[in-house]
Amino acid sequence: MLCQHCGKNQATTFYKENINGQTKQLALCPQCAAELTGETPTFGSLFNSSFWNDDFFKDPFSTWGSSLFSSPKQAISGGRRCNTCGMTESELRRTGRAGCGDCYNSFSDILLPYIKKLHGAAAHVGTAPKQVEQSKNPLDELKTRLSDAVKSENYEEAAKLRDEIRRQEGEQNG
Amino acid sequence: MAEFEFHGGFAELAVSTRVRLARNFKGYTYRDLTAEKQKEIADKIYNAINAAPAIAKQFTFSEIKAGSEDALSKVETHQISPELAQNGGYLIATENGGVSIMIGEEDHMRLQVMGSGLCPKECMQEASRLASLIESQIPMDYDKNLGYLTACPSNIGTGLRASVMLHLPMLERAGGISELLNAAGRQGFTVRGAYGEGSRAVGGFYQLSNQITLGISEDNIIEKLIEICTEVIEKEKNLRHRVSSQHELELTDGVCRAVGTLKNARQIQTNEAIDCLSQILIGISMKYLQGVSPEDIWKTEQRIQPAVLGGTTNERDKKRADILRNLTKPLEIII
Ligand SMILES: [Zn+2]
Ligand SMILES: [Zn+2]
Repeated sequence: MLCQHCGKNQATTFYKENINGQTKQLALCPQCAAELTGETPTFGSLFNSSFWNDDFFKDPFSTWGSSLFSSPKQAISGGRRCNTCGMTESELRRTGRAGCGDCYNSFSDILLPYIKKLHGAAAHVGTAPKQVEQSKNPLDELKTRLSDAVKSENYEEAAKLRDEIRRQEGEQNG
Repeated sequence: MAEFEFHGGFAELAVSTRVRLARNFKGYTYRDLTAEKQKEIADKIYNAINAAPAIAKQFTFSEIKAGSEDALSKVETHQISPELAQNGGYLIATENGGVSIMIGEEDHMRLQVMGSGLCPKECMQEASRLASLIESQIPMDYDKNLGYLTACPSNIGTGLRASVMLHLPMLERAGGISELLNAAGRQGFTVRGAYGEGSRAVGGFYQLSNQITLGISEDNIIEKLIEICTEVIEKEKNLRHRVSSQHELELTDGVCRAVGTLKNARQIQTNEAIDCLSQILIGISMKYLQGVSPEDIWKTEQRIQPAVLGGTTNERDKKRADILRNLTKPLEIII
């Protein structure tokens, strides 16, 4: 979570005060917290003093992860996009987050080496979901989604689904 | 109030265990998810759970309003993450708060199971059971090679973070934390202070969790976690006995002063309170004190956090002191 005052640093403190019966809450970074309250916050350190330090799930690699992401190539090749979610290459490098599952395909040349560095491995060995849906014809599922999209007047989504159905039908027939 | 789902061993040194699974559903993007799509996902998860009536009965569905008092106090009782409290979303949770399914995080679903003491196996079993119930009904973003796909590549594969909070004041005093950090790091685990900022871990509380999620199975992560914890706990126990035989006066002085503070304080800040609770826990485990269980102390710890208490700083400090005086009333020094 970013600081709500400067919008730049990671917020570590929840600043909350009761002013004339009105409660105001701000998530702040240590610098802004010190600036706004005039003291180094020892109370209310929601994120750091919390039992679990909840951000442990967030980004355990952040200290060295960002340096892997910023590459000299960035400036010249910012134009690529993920067709499914619209994520651009420069956004991906900046945020370090995939915008959808397909990003792992669209940007596999960036993400796979990064993943390998992070985990020291590139192959999953844990459990897999029970793929009930796989037993169904994937086309049926797409068709259901198409009719849902049309019903909800989501024509952009519908057009995408229609193209995908045509593509898969083409594959099945040819 | 988040009660614990499971009760593991080593309650005095291993405070609590938490297991989290990150999951994303096929056909939805991770970012820019509309409010309708998010609700749709939440409904699908709730319906999937409702397909098993025996399980469903225990769960309630609620909306988390971004930045609300309710959301903040749920963060401090560890039921939801700060990000969910900030973004808002949905929570599907057991009444006692031991299991919570968060919708509105950077991944579509974060499933969390908490327990007291050292119980990663039990927590993992429950998390897997619920995840497979959901996965059997909703198609997941899953890749044969990469496993479960997550918004952040650091969670990819199993999507699992398993974590144990340990009380290691003596190891800390003996300068053993950096050694622990290195040993854990070599096995793909990380250690950090559970309270406080920077290098100071208030009260000697540390959290040990896995960093690697790909190329290692869930069972292996859990086994390694238990192994490292057991080893560290053994070290801390040995150190405690050594300190008690060589520096007993200093040790009992710290414990008894903490008892005095908590039994008498009229206002107290969070960090001081946690330092004192840390001393009390040492006292209980060394049999200097009796009358209060380590678990009672954990439950109290959750109740003295700022957002849970509410009000102004002064009001909070007073309420906190009241709660702690109440907690320590039955506490007796027996040396
Ligand atoms: Zn700031
Ligand atoms: Zn994408």
